[in-house]
Amino acid sequence: MANPPIMHIRNVVKSFARGGERIEVLKHLSLDVPEGEFLGIMGPSGSGKTTLLNLIAGLDKPDSGELRIGGALVSAMSESQLAAWRTRNVGFIFQFYHLLPVLTAYENIELPLLLLPLGSSQRRQQVMTALDLVGLCDRMHHRPGQLSGGQQQRVGIARAIVTDPTVIVADEPTGDLDSRSAEDIMNLLVELQKGLHKTILLVTHDPRAAERAERVVHLEKGKLVEAEMLEAQAASTAGDTNIRR
Amino acid sequence: MRFFELLLEDPATLICAIIATIVVLAGLAFFVANFRLFQLVIKNLRRNLVRTMLTCTATMVLVFVVTMIWTVLFFMDLITRERAKDLKLIVSERWQLPSMLPMTHANYLDPTHPQFLPELKGLYGPDDFMTWSFYGGTQDPKKLTPQDLVFFFTMKPDKIVPMMDDLQNLDPALVAKMNDSRKPEAVLIGSEKLRSIGQEDAFRASGSVRVKLTSINYKDIDLEVEIIGVLPDGRYNQSAIMNVDYFNAAFDRYEREKHKPHEMSSKRLNLIWIRVPDRETFDRVGGIIENAPVFADRPLKVETASSGISAFLDAYKDLLWGLRWLLVPAILVIMSLVMANAISITVRERRTEMAVMKVLGYRPNQILRLVLGEALLVGATSGLLAATATYLFFNLKWGGIPFRIAFFPVFHIPEFAMIWGLAIGSITAFLGSILPAWSARSVKVSEVFSKVA
Repeated sequence: MANPPIMHIRNVVKSFARGGERIEVLKHLSLDVPEGEFLGIMGPSGSGKTTLLNLIAGLDKPDSGELRIGGALVSAMSESQLAAWRTRNVGFIFQFYHLLPVLTAYENIELPLLLLPLGSSQRRQQVMTALDLVGLCDRMHHRPGQLSGGQQQRVGIARAIVTDPTVIVADEPTGDLDSRSAEDIMNLLVELQKGLHKTILLVTHDPRAAERAERVVHLEKGKLVEAEMLEAQAASTAGDTNIRR
Repeated sequence: MRFFELLLEDPATLICAIIATIVVLAGLAFFVANFRLFQLVIKNLRRNLVRTMLTCTATMVLVFVVTMIWTVLFFMDLITRERAKDLKLIVSERWQLPSMLPMTHANYLDPTHPQFLPELKGLYGPDDFMTWSFYGGTQDPKKLTPQDLVFFFTMKPDKIVPMMDDLQNLDPALVAKMNDSRKPEAVLIGSEKLRSIGQEDAFRASGSVRVKLTSINYKDIDLEVEIIGVLPDGRYNQSAIMNVDYFNAAFDRYEREKHKPHEMSSKRLNLIWIRVPDRETFDRVGGIIENAPVFADRPLKVETASSGISAFLDAYKDLLWGLRWLLVPAILVIMSLVMANAISITVRERRTEMAVMKVLGYRPNQILRLVLGEALLVGATSGLLAATATYLFFNLKWGGIPFRIAFFPVFHIPEFAMIWGLAIGSITAFLGSILPAWSARSVKVSEVFSKVA
C-alpha cells in the first residue's frame, strides 16, 4: 500500500448476548485501510457487516482489540468522546437516506454542523460547498418529499461530507435506487474519493457497486476474506466438479 | 410592592413564579444558543398540526379550569390568612349573629368621640376606625327579586379609602361628593348591581340617577338615594356604599314623625373595624374591649378579620378542601397524561430520525432536551395563553368569576394567573414527557442501518 493506513483495526472481537448465550459476531478481525482508498465490504446476512460499521463509526465498542482511525484510538474513547469524534471524523451515507422530512435539503446538510463551534456564515459556506459538490444548489430549499430518490441520496452524501470527515461510510447507498440513479451515485462517490482524496467504506450486496471499489473484502462469519482468496476457492470448487465429471 | 408581597405570601404562587422564571430563562437560553435547533423543535410540532393543536386545546381547557379554581382558593387564602402586621379587627356582638348593636357602642371605640375609652388612647388613630351598618332596599317591594335588591354598607365617607380593602385608589372626587352635606343621599354602587337594577343607561347618560328604595331590613325606613359613582370592579360589584349620616338621619326623622324611636334604632350598628399595627396591639385592644364594663349589657367579641371571615366560611370548608386537594390534582394528572400520550406518539414516529441524529453525533441528552423542549413549548405556551384569556375574558366582562361563595359574589382573577398558567402548563408538560423523552434518549442506532436479507 502506497499510503499509510487511515484505519487500523487489530484483532477486534465483538459478541452479543442472545437468548442466554454469547454469540461472537466479529472474530479477531484485522483490517488496514490506507488513506484515500475506496474499500468495498461484502458478505451475507449475519456476517457482521453492521457490527463492523458500528465499530468503525464509534457507535459501539469492541470487546477486545484495537481500532485506530485517523490516529485516534477509537476503541478506548468514552461515549461522549465518541459522539464528538464521530461528528468530525465520520460521514454516513444510508441506504434509505434518512433525511429529516421537516427540514429542507439545506437544513438537513447543516444538521451535523450545529454540533460544531461554527458561526452561521461559516456553516453556510460549508453547506453551499457540499451542495455544489453534489450538484443540488438549485434544490436546497426543497424538502425530502419534493426530491427524487437519487436527489435525496445526494443530499445524504452532502450531509456526510459537510464536516470534511476522515472517513465516509456508505451503507448500501444504491440499495433503494434504480440503476440509473445508482450509477450516478457511484460516480459521485468515486469523484469524492479521487477529487477530495476521501477514504470511503462501501457496504453493499450489489456487485456492480462493489466493482467501483478499488478493493473488496468479504466478511464471512465474522472473519475477513479477501476477494482473491474467494476467487481461488471458487475456481478450486469448479475444478473438482470437472474432475468428477 | 403589593404584587411582590402577595407573591411571597402565597406558597403555591411563589413556586409557580420560580418554575415560570426557570422555564422562560431556559427557553430564552435555548433560543439564543441553538436557534436552528429551536427551529427544528417548531418544525417538529408542525409535522402533525392536528395533533399539536388538539394537545394545546386540551391543555388550555384544563388550565382554564385550574385558573378559575385557584382564583377562588387564592382569594380565600388571602382573606383568611393571619397577618403579622396591619391587622384589622372585627368587633361584633358576642352572642348575636348578625350583630345588632346600639350606635352608642361605637362612641367608646371612636378616637374622635369624647367617650373614647381612655385605655385605648394611643393604640390606634381616627383613620384606623370604621363602623358598618347594613341597609337593604328594593326598587320593587312587591316582587323582591335579587336583581332589584341593593345591599348598602353605610359608613362615614372619609373611611372608604383608608379602611375599605381594594378601594385605596377610589377617585377622591367621588369621596368628596359623598361628604358633601348638601347631598347626603349620594351613594356609590357596584357596576353589576347598577346594571341589574336597570339604571346603568340612565346613569351613563346623565352621570347620576335617583332611585327610590323600600327597606327590607328596617321597616318604614325607605330612602331615596342618588347614585353619583360606580365602585371599581371587583368584590364590590354587587354592593353599594351610603353615607351613614343619611342613614342615621332617616331614623331621626322617623322618631320625629312617629313620636317614638324606630324599633331597630338601638340595633342598627352591625360591625366595627379597627386597624392595629401588630399582633401585640391586637391582643391589648382585644382584651380592653372584651373586658370593658361599658359593654357589659351587650358583650362584644374581637377577632381578626381573617379569623372572622374563616368562621363565616366554615360551611364551605369541605368544598374548598375538595377543590384544592382532589379536583386540582386530578386535573394536573390528566394534563400530564394528555402530554405523555402526545409526546409518546411523536417519539415513536421519529425513532429512526433520532437514531440518525445520534449517528451524526448528537448526544443522548441532546435528543432528550429536544423532546422535552417540544413538550415544554406546547405546555408553557398553551398554559400562558389559556390563563391570559381567562383573566381578560372574566375580568373585563364580569369583573371576575361570578361564583358566589358566602358574601363574595365575584372573584377577580389576579395578575398572578398568567404565572400560574405558564407554570402549570410547563410542569405538567415536563412530567408527562419525561418518560417518552427518556425513551428517545435510549433509541438504538442499529435501526438506521440496512436490514440485509
